[in-house]
Amino acid sequence: MGTRIIRTILVNIGIIMLLLIVLFPIIYIFISSFKPLSELINAATGFFPKQPTLSNYLTLLLVRTPVRNFPLFLLNSLKVSLGTVLLTVLISSVAGYGLARYRYPGGGILIQSMLFIYVFPTVLLIIPIYRMFLNLKLLDTHLGLIIIYTALAAPFCTWLISSFFKTIPIEIEQAASIDGANKLTIFFRITLPLAGAGLLTVGVYAFIIAWGEYMFASILLSSSSNRTAPLGLATLTAEQYIEYGPLLAGSVLIILPVIILFFPVARHFIKGVMGGAIKQ
Amino acid sequence: MKVNYKVNFLKYLYIFPIFALIGVVFIYPLFQVINSSFYNIRMGKSEGVFIGLDNYRLIFSEPLFWKSVNSTLIWTLCSLVIQLIIPMFVAIILNQKLKGIHFIRSSVLLPYIVPMVALAVSMRWMLLPEIGIFNEILKNTIGTQISFLGSQNAAIPTVVIFNSWKLMPFGTLLILSALQTIPEELYEAARVDGANFWKQFIYITFPLLGKIIWFMGFLVLVWNFNAFDAIWLTTEGGPGHILQTLPVLVYRRAFKVFRLGEGAAIATVGSVFLVIIGLLYFKLFAPKKED
Repeated sequence: MGTRIIRTILVNIGIIMLLLIVLFPIIYIFISSFKPLSELINAATGFFPKQPTLSNYLTLLLVRTPVRNFPLFLLNSLKVSLGTVLLTVLISSVAGYGLARYRYPGGGILIQSMLFIYVFPTVLLIIPIYRMFLNLKLLDTHLGLIIIYTALAAPFCTWLISSFFKTIPIEIEQAASIDGANKLTIFFRITLPLAGAGLLTVGVYAFIIAWGEYMFASILLSSSSNRTAPLGLATLTAEQYIEYGPLLAGSVLIILPVIILFFPVARHFIKGVMGGAIKQ
Repeated sequence: MKVNYKVNFLKYLYIFPIFALIGVVFIYPLFQVINSSFYNIRMGKSEGVFIGLDNYRLIFSEPLFWKSVNSTLIWTLCSLVIQLIIPMFVAIILNQKLKGIHFIRSSVLLPYIVPMVALAVSMRWMLLPEIGIFNEILKNTIGTQISFLGSQNAAIPTVVIFNSWKLMPFGTLLILSALQTIPEELYEAARVDGANFWKQFIYITFPLLGKIIWFMGFLVLVWNFNAFDAIWLTTEGGPGHILQTLPVLVYRRAFKVFRLGEGAAIATVGSVFLVIIGLLYFKLFAPKKED
């Protein structure tokens, strides 16, 4: 059984090295955000902060100018992300329910064509969407961003939630229907709550898409008071003297909510993607 | 019969919103961008002046455009190779039945879900000469330094590796899902016959991964061809435009020098290339309707 022990050791070494490579930059960003400037401009001072400080966060959040107002940018991002979550959950749960319960002509192709948008060249979109929003007076509005982000998130979410609905036996709905409940009541009172984990996963996915998006925000938003956090962070690098401390603090504030939201639903997310991959 | 008709009509209400949204945000712009490529459009004006094929004539005569095509091909191919090969080995590691493997799998997914913008701007700091951590490591190990993002030779490999590091978990997940469909008995039988790790990989794992590898190759190719954030946020197209791939060129042409028509023409040309790749893929490798 010597080979089995060697195998276990090799696998463990592999996993440790893998985690190190995958997580090192993220952990390093997090730890370094507590370093004073003198340590940030000299990596030789080591991995951990010698004199830990909160000054990077305080500078980022308290030193505010109209073009550099990070608390406002975070608030804008929160607004846009929550709007996207609401709209995405609504649209994709309704569509996912339809796709799970009814047959449509060309049903399989319908779902495939929906997922086709994920191989769509996004750069093709920026010019026409800019012009369309110019005509619709949606430029420089958060509503415009919410519409785009929902379009980016909803197809995948529809597909994911549809597989959750398929696991709910239709007999439950039929029983409620005999008891006199109408379709709307059945959907909102019975089926939707049973797909709770699916809704949560879909909501988190939509949040993550909207919370970190940069390209569309950089084109569609023009006034500094409307900026989202990713945009605010990127403009920090455009200044003549880049302040690395606030830059890292801002990165952490953008990364942390995503990680906190992701872990509880990670299993569902992984199962969803893997299940779909096998089907394809 | 009457009831049936009603149900038939109502069921389309469920899927109407999502397809309307896809139509407005994806399909309509597709036609609009081709249309725009025949116009000279000033920023902020909703109407342009029709100029026929002039935009195409202009971009095809530009050395900058051809350099961009070249950069796009190099960028895409390098990314493709890395993002196809490495996830295979990572997936094999993650396919072990261990305590806490779910937590490990979730952790490995982190770079993929964490916003690119935060990673990219922090990476710029980590990659700096003299003060960055990566050059500190180089200084202490091989005694030399590299201007990772500042030199034309280093910029492409650096950003390719950074971008692959971020995207790799997704491919890993796809391969992992395929690995889990391979019955463990196959490996046991092979081990009984004395096959080592490499033989098992070449004769069992790799052939059975076939279909998913092609699918992943297609996804990886398209995603990297379209990559914008990773390049723009680290180098804005790189020293000497070395990383100015087509998406970066479109973005710059349309929103930095405000020539929307030319940008639309470049976007159209790039997309024609992608459509050809897509058609090839579906012709050759798409899953047949047998299941």
